[in-house]
Amino acid sequence: MKKAKIISAVVMSGLLSIATGHASSIKIGFNVPLTGFAAADGKSALNGAELAVEQANAAGGINGDSIVLVVYDDQASPKEAVPIAQKLIEKDEVVAAISGSYSGSTRAAAGIFQEAGVPYIAAYAVHPDITRAGNYVFRTSFVGEVQGRAGAKLMGETLGAKKVSVITLKNDFGKSLAAGLKQAASNYGITIVSEYEYGIKDRQFGPIVSKVKSDKPDAIYATGYFFTAGPLVSQLRAAGITVPIIGQEGYDSQKFIDIAGAAAEGTIITTSLNRDSASIETKNFIREFESKTGNKADMVAASAHTAVKVIVAAMRQSGSMDKAALRNAISATSVVAATGTISFNALGEVRKDVQVQIVKDGNWHEHSVISDSKLLAPPNE
Amino acid sequence: MLYLELFIQGLVQGSIYALIALGLTLVYGLLRILHVAHAALFTLGGYIGVIVTNATGSFTLAMLVAMLVVGLAGMLMYKLAYEPLLSQPPYVSLIASIALFIASEEIFRIAFGPYGLSYQTAPLQGHIELFSGFYLKYAEILVMGLSTILMIALAWLSMQTRTGVAWRATVTDPDMARAFGVKIQNVRYLNFFIGSSFAAAAGVLVALLNNLVEPTMGSVASYKALAIIVLGGLGSIRGTLIASLLLGVLESFGTIYIGHLLDRDAIAFAFLILVLMIRPQGLMGGKL
Amino acid sequence: MSYEITLMTTMAISVLFALSLNFITGFCGQISLGHAAFLGAGAYTSAMLSKADVPFLFTIPVAAICAAMLGAIIGLASLRVRHDFLAITTMGVGFLFVGIIRQQDFFGGEIGIAGIPSSGFGKGGFMLICIALALTFAAFSLYVRRSWMGFVFKSIADNEDVTRVLGIDVSRYKLIAFIIGTGTAGVAGALYAHHFRFVGPDSFGFVESISVLAMVIVGGIGSVWGVIFAAALLSVLPMLVQFIDDYKLLFYSGLLFAMMRFSPDGIAGLCTRLFSYIPRRVPDNGGNNR
Repeated sequence: MKKAKIISAVVMSGLLSIATGHASSIKIGFNVPLTGFAAADGKSALNGAELAVEQANAAGGINGDSIVLVVYDDQASPKEAVPIAQKLIEKDEVVAAISGSYSGSTRAAAGIFQEAGVPYIAAYAVHPDITRAGNYVFRTSFVGEVQGRAGAKLMGETLGAKKVSVITLKNDFGKSLAAGLKQAASNYGITIVSEYEYGIKDRQFGPIVSKVKSDKPDAIYATGYFFTAGPLVSQLRAAGITVPIIGQEGYDSQKFIDIAGAAAEGTIITTSLNRDSASIETKNFIREFESKTGNKADMVAASAHTAVKVIVAAMRQSGSMDKAALRNAISATSVVAATGTISFNALGEVRKDVQVQIVKDGNWHEHSVISDSKLLAPPNE
Repeated sequence: MLYLELFIQGLVQGSIYALIALGLTLVYGLLRILHVAHAALFTLGGYIGVIVTNATGSFTLAMLVAMLVVGLAGMLMYKLAYEPLLSQPPYVSLIASIALFIASEEIFRIAFGPYGLSYQTAPLQGHIELFSGFYLKYAEILVMGLSTILMIALAWLSMQTRTGVAWRATVTDPDMARAFGVKIQNVRYLNFFIGSSFAAAAGVLVALLNNLVEPTMGSVASYKALAIIVLGGLGSIRGTLIASLLLGVLESFGTIYIGHLLDRDAIAFAFLILVLMIRPQGLMGGKL
Repeated sequence: MSYEITLMTTMAISVLFALSLNFITGFCGQISLGHAAFLGAGAYTSAMLSKADVPFLFTIPVAAICAAMLGAIIGLASLRVRHDFLAITTMGVGFLFVGIIRQQDFFGGEIGIAGIPSSGFGKGGFMLICIALALTFAAFSLYVRRSWMGFVFKSIADNEDVTRVLGIDVSRYKLIAFIIGTGTAGVAGALYAHHFRFVGPDSFGFVESISVLAMVIVGGIGSVWGVIFAAALLSVLPMLVQFIDDYKLLFYSGLLFAMMRFSPDGIAGLCTRLFSYIPRRVPDNGGNNR
């Protein structure tokens, strides 16, 4: 009797291991804010990434193995991101990871991934120091400074503004954008007449709005996320300010338009997703995202989708799950994704066109495209 | 001109603070509890305001529903959370209140989603031009007007009606009031009802000003309101009102002129600590 | 194994931090809602020194001194106010600390300080240092509790006015409690900086202060063993149970509320009451149970 029990136990565990062994999965880590102030962007980014994983698995995965996204909520907080990075590396033993989160947490986590030799892609976080963590860290979106410079060209050349008021969100996102703007401002004949800062929790901008009104600028460059930009733009317009307001990818969401209402009309932003794009990749992404989630696509979803695509392409290219080989494959990758053609320079930064979108009739539409190579060249080190 | 605008904005912000802080001061005056979870009622008011307006198209109805429902919610909160803790040392109800507040923020996020809600067609978004270049949004006028009306109503209630007298008596000396036949329990319920419905009004108004309600919209309000009632002198309604308006105006000018030194919230606390060092009982506080 | 080491290190640092607050709030009855500011002071000091190539071990005492100096100032200010006012004032100190740090680029501003160098002792070695420091302070706490100083602290916590009438210099003892508690928090901060390799203004805000207070209260305010247990458990719980992590805040606040509602003296209180139901043959020796 005992012998039979032992044999059956061995057989059972054998079957079990075969069963699990056959469906071996490839784990990609994903840190994203699902709670806290950035939860809306996080949810959207997660949807974008999940869509990309579904599509990759439907196309056969990587040589039959399916890809699994290991997701943790980092609340867009560096304090949370670090233990998550440690967990992904040491407990889940991911092959590579993506940050669907903001700059603060990405930057903190990047150092951990670099040290552990695990490839890490920042989907849309803008802070320059992120890729400087080392050669295992990449970014599929613009560095803050580059987007800021594009903003300068947009305002100075395309819109002909001479005097600009800058309203900066006091965090790495807002500050790096403002820094880029200031770098390039004089090249396009722009004088920055005044600069104000606000905190991420602010929703009442009365004092700043009044002061800006008295400054009488030709255009306003305001950095922020949709939940700050929405109220800000609405309050600026309500105060009787009619000059163009230029935003960035932080505004890039239908929610911005919902919040600001009629005041959103005419707001122009620099971003990576062109809703009116002729590219098949972009069109497909927009369509599939909407049918999967019922929400309109936005920049964070597109960027997360892109980041997954890059890793999948690199995995197929390198054929092995060795992290160093994967890193090399990512570095050499050139992939067409929803946010443009992605290829990296020595620092791990991408060079792609800046999409300029404008709110027309309650939706984001194409305004123009900025392709100046020299202007948009990302840092190399 | 600029200064006038900054001043008016300070008053608008201060009115909102006053509506919120009032509830806090009422609770403290009666029960000596720091009711941090009060801000959760503020948020709830905001959510109800947006949901009802979007569903029925009537802002007035939304305001009334919000004030009523949240007033009741406040009473429930007293019954379930504070009443059982009355015999414990003060830090127990403080921690319980903080825990309740954090839990409620999470519940809002889970129930209403993290995205926040907006009005489909925000009412009162227009503005009038008082004189050259000086704009005032209808919403801002409503904030100041409604707060004033509510405060006057409260003053009338507490001074001119029997209920009000019973209430003031209970605050001053509960045992004496009980001896005179005042039902302490009812006074407490009334207290929470009024404080909470004022907070709801504030929530609806803030939703109107920003066109956005979020699960975390109460967090800043909760800490600031605490600073305000301490500043005004714990338990003093007049002190709270003065402190609210003062802080509103201070922040308004402060964000422009000393914003590079301290961020907006820190201004409130810096001011508070300064005042407490000079006058430990707050601006209008009585005994220590 | 690597992951377990990380967890143990996190636990040790949390225990040290919680015990430091227990010293002030538990032993001496001074409620502090801004304790994370001292963790932050120590962390930033240690981080900046470390990035300037000062060896890790030397940064620890400097961090402790910086935090203790800040603690002394706050302690002096706290002498003016009591109970509820004290709670709000300490909360204000926490906000002020964060508010000032965020504005100064010297401290890295909004972005904080990243890329803090490793301690130089390797993961295992660092873990041992953290555990050693935590145990040392725990032993110290236990010793103090049985000493004259601990007795004075308890007296102040129970009834400050009576203590003063008895001729004890209450102010001096309160200040001592603050200095020791905040200095130790500074040490915890130095360890924190080298464990997470990143410090930013958001790491030391109100939520952090409430979390550590929660650990002290859930453990049992004043009870050294209770606080050690609660801190160790609460600090790593979200990492061990994935479900908890998604609803982490709801779980924590729910637990905290339940504790306050049903057992305000924490786990230590629960245990005391539980054990008192067990019939004993040896009479109680009247230990220092709160």
